[in-house]
Amino acid sequence: MKEWYDKIKQAQSVENLEDIRIAVFGKKGVLAAEFAKMKDAANEQKAQIAKDLNMHKSALMNEFTAKKIALQTQALQRAMKEEAIDVSMFSTKSSAGALHPVMETMDRIVEYFSSMNFAVKTGQIVEDDFHNFEALNLPKYHPARDMQDTFYFKDEMLLRTHTSPVQIRTMLESKPPIRMIAPGAVFRRDYDLTHTPMFHQIEGLLVDEEGKVSFANLKFILEDFLKYMFGDVDVRFRPSFFPFTEPSAEVDISCVFCKGEGCRVCSHTGWLEVLGCGIVDPNVFEAVEYKNVSGYAFGLGVERFAMLIHQIGDLRSLFEGDIKLLEQFQ
Amino acid sequence: MIVTKSWLHEWIDLDGITTQELAKTFNAIGLEVDRIHEYRVPAKIVFGKVLECEKHPNADKLNICQVDIGSCVRQIVCGASNVRAGLTVVVATIGAVMPSGLAIKPVKLRGVDSEGMICSASEIGLPDLGKGIMELDESIGTFTLGQEVNDNPIFNDDLIEIELTANRGDCLSIRGVARDLSAAFDRPIREYEKTDNDEKRGIGRILSLTHEKALDVNLRYKAIDLKELTLPFIMKLRLGQIEDTRKCDVEALTLYVTHSTGVILRAYKHEFFTKNDEIMAKVILGEDNKDYACIKAEDGRIASTVGIIQKDESKVLQNEGIILLEASYIPPDIISKKMADKKIEAGPMFYKTSRGSEPELEGGLSYCIDLIEFNSVSSTFSGSIELSNSFKEKIVIITKEEIDAIIGAKIDKLVITKILKNLGFDVSKSSTDKFVITVPQFRHDIVNKQDIVEEIVRMVGIDNIPSKAFMLKEDNRLEDNYFAYKKRSIFRHRCAQSGFFESVHFVFDEKKVLESYGFETTKKELELLNPIVQTLDTLRPTLLTGLLKAASANVKNGYASVKLFEIGSVFTPLREESYKMSFLFSGDKENENFANGGKPEKMDFAYFVQKIADIVGDVELREYETKHSLSHTYQTAEVFLQGESIGELFRVHPEVEKAYDLEQTFMCELDFTKIPYALKTAEQASKYQASFRDLSIIMPKDMSYEKVKNVIDANALKEVIRFYPVDKYSDESLGENMSLSLRFVLQSDDKTLQEEDITGAMDTILNALNSELGIGLR
Repeated sequence: MKEWYDKIKQAQSVENLEDIRIAVFGKKGVLAAEFAKMKDAANEQKAQIAKDLNMHKSALMNEFTAKKIALQTQALQRAMKEEAIDVSMFSTKSSAGALHPVMETMDRIVEYFSSMNFAVKTGQIVEDDFHNFEALNLPKYHPARDMQDTFYFKDEMLLRTHTSPVQIRTMLESKPPIRMIAPGAVFRRDYDLTHTPMFHQIEGLLVDEEGKVSFANLKFILEDFLKYMFGDVDVRFRPSFFPFTEPSAEVDISCVFCKGEGCRVCSHTGWLEVLGCGIVDPNVFEAVEYKNVSGYAFGLGVERFAMLIHQIGDLRSLFEGDIKLLEQFQ
Repeated sequence: MIVTKSWLHEWIDLDGITTQELAKTFNAIGLEVDRIHEYRVPAKIVFGKVLECEKHPNADKLNICQVDIGSCVRQIVCGASNVRAGLTVVVATIGAVMPSGLAIKPVKLRGVDSEGMICSASEIGLPDLGKGIMELDESIGTFTLGQEVNDNPIFNDDLIEIELTANRGDCLSIRGVARDLSAAFDRPIREYEKTDNDEKRGIGRILSLTHEKALDVNLRYKAIDLKELTLPFIMKLRLGQIEDTRKCDVEALTLYVTHSTGVILRAYKHEFFTKNDEIMAKVILGEDNKDYACIKAEDGRIASTVGIIQKDESKVLQNEGIILLEASYIPPDIISKKMADKKIEAGPMFYKTSRGSEPELEGGLSYCIDLIEFNSVSSTFSGSIELSNSFKEKIVIITKEEIDAIIGAKIDKLVITKILKNLGFDVSKSSTDKFVITVPQFRHDIVNKQDIVEEIVRMVGIDNIPSKAFMLKEDNRLEDNYFAYKKRSIFRHRCAQSGFFESVHFVFDEKKVLESYGFETTKKELELLNPIVQTLDTLRPTLLTGLLKAASANVKNGYASVKLFEIGSVFTPLREESYKMSFLFSGDKENENFANGGKPEKMDFAYFVQKIADIVGDVELREYETKHSLSHTYQTAEVFLQGESIGELFRVHPEVEKAYDLEQTFMCELDFTKIPYALKTAEQASKYQASFRDLSIIMPKDMSYEKVKNVIDANALKEVIRFYPVDKYSDESLGENMSLSLRFVLQSDDKTLQEEDITGAMDTILNALNSELGIGLR
């Protein structure tokens, strides 16, 4: 019997062990043979022999089970080792595409204002003089028209120079109260390092009863918005001039690059101009025949925001479908 | 608008205010600071006087000067042509380091000792004032010889350039800027006091002024008999600082006065207006052939166009003789309207007049006369001749409550009054319950209540107004436009997830190129009038060409796989705008990597279609012929989604691939509005197992699958829930035919299908194919 214990211990493989199992536990196995011998033994010895044999049977079975598990584990380990790969060779680039930083920035801005319950309005790119200029208090001779070099068509239509005509269209189509933003592409005849003939703007407008909408309200939403976009920045308002608002202001944030210390990007002023805004000029309300209302309006350039947030240097590269730039936003 | 601190100080007391504080105030009151320049003359540069000056024996162009620099007299060799004995000059003494980095040391010049340098303006960091050394005079204030130049505020000055908004013509002068500062600092403006002259000769003896018709122009003339005019140094320096060009001294002086006071001044030769040898100049205000107000002589020769430009022939080029000084005012809206209608050449003054020059003419005119008298031995004719229109006063009435409501904060009544008064508004007619505000004529921009509020806001400072949230009425503002935006955003994300990079291109494209590919562009009569460049001369009818260009550029940048998409506006020939969603996939299917052995497969039609379907949903392709020639003739499809045509998908024509340096390239352009974006409804799914069955049909090679599909679609039993081609085979034994294997998926809602059900369904299909197309099993 003893030798079988050693044989089980020394078994080299699952197959080898199976052979041993048959030799020990099989019908013609050692145990069967030993039990068979019992019939020749003396009666008084039978009980003892049976007891011994059963003890060996269960001990050998335990031995066998343990060995089988050990051998199976070993075999699995070997098989898995065969399948070993060098994982480091599988380091890979993302094969996902990416969204355009300007469109992404636009989405973030729209997300803020729609969660503040501003409606989203879109207009048309080909506009007429009334909606783009006249109704916005920019008559033909107005010096402020110089600020916006316009693309004209042969039939006196034009490409909108700002998204403000959407405000006019919305006011003409609906009644106050109005709370809206207008995101979209706008066009000016300008092409250099800091200007492209097409860029994107988002304008906002709020109109309610006379005496309800104040400059303080405008200040509140823009301060909150700029902190949402840029994090913890200082916000500064400077009085300025736009034909469609009065009082008007330009809004600066403390430079996101130098934290207001002064650097090349902010022309060493510590401030970056990011927004224009104001209380809607009564002439604009007159043009859309609104009476006894008050409102505020603001507008911003999406490219400027995107360039500041993502630290993109060249404006023109944004319009070239340049994967080198885009893959950084995967 | 350029101001300097010392120049401003002549009009308002700036004691105790640093340049930084001044700049901060400018920004706070809406005069945006564009640039600050500090003039700092280095140490050891002092005032000196040239005592003697003689020619250098060995050099024609050099002079040997003995220069008194207070503590001693130094010998200095000077090369300036204008050096002479008696001049007060700026001397860089031994040890001085010039802004250029040059250190002043004792030297020998052609054998003569020189201990220092007599300086020109640009040599000490001031603006270039032309050839030669500076000739100083008493206009720079008191100084002693040997005193450091840097002690003098004229030399140690700070320049601030302000970017004025278009409405603030009143700040296009030093005096105007000072007036704004007066309200900001609550300090009075220094009004100019004119000196009386006791000249006996009256102006009426030499000048008459008439007008041909009533024009909205104010004119005022004075005459002066000019003798020995010399421009003081300070005037030359400041004109250099504001970069104003000037041809002659009289013009320079009038420019100086205009920049100081805002009054538009011109100087005319007296004889321009006289006939023969008469002494009487007849000045006529009339109109030119374009209806611009102009100043003419009796015979019709034009001297100037009011507010726009002066003819060279009438200008004063010499510093002697009788001259007429004219101050003029024309309302800015009149002149800009006219210019918008009929554009003519304009001089430098037009910028000021079109934005609103100073209407108070007498101040500027007498300041000019005083400056001429002070710097010459001229005599002025007494009196002035004028032509003026009555000015209609603008009055704005507003209550404190209205002001507070627009600002959103309570502003003290006294503060409001003080601000308005300092800005030149008359509030004397106000009562306890309302402000009655008379707007001064120079504030063209102020017409209504909100204009008044803006003035108050500027001076109070927006940063001092506390922010307040707006209380809004609850209202659902999620409507169609928002959902359109949302749809676009969702599809953009899907495109990026499927491996495409979003590109944004200009909505312009090149007409010639588009038309060569067969695209219809904007109609001629609706075309862009002033394109920015020829290659962007029309509105794009497609996004495809932009994507091709971008792909080409990316391949040149070394990208073997280019996947781009754009969702953007395109235009019909009638300029109707719509949205398209377009894709380009070129080159390798995936990045080179270990798994593909560095040789990724090339893009193919099936893979591209799969990508598109991943984004928009199950698509069906039908044979198609594009209207343009960008597509491969035999790999072009019309794309259907839920039975509706939504666009086209194709391999790019090999010639086009070649033209853009692209490998196998596939493109797809879809009508974005046709892609559905609605909530889906779920159908009851069958509980019974689905069965699969393949059929291999023998059919002619040139028969399109679409035909087969249509027949099956029309005839299959309802248990056939889906079918698709899985293999195509042909060999010699099949001749002109091929074998097409189709896989059918069958499922019933009420039972597990039995073999006979399946065979029955297949037979129905085979019968239909046989009877309608004459094709069947092998």
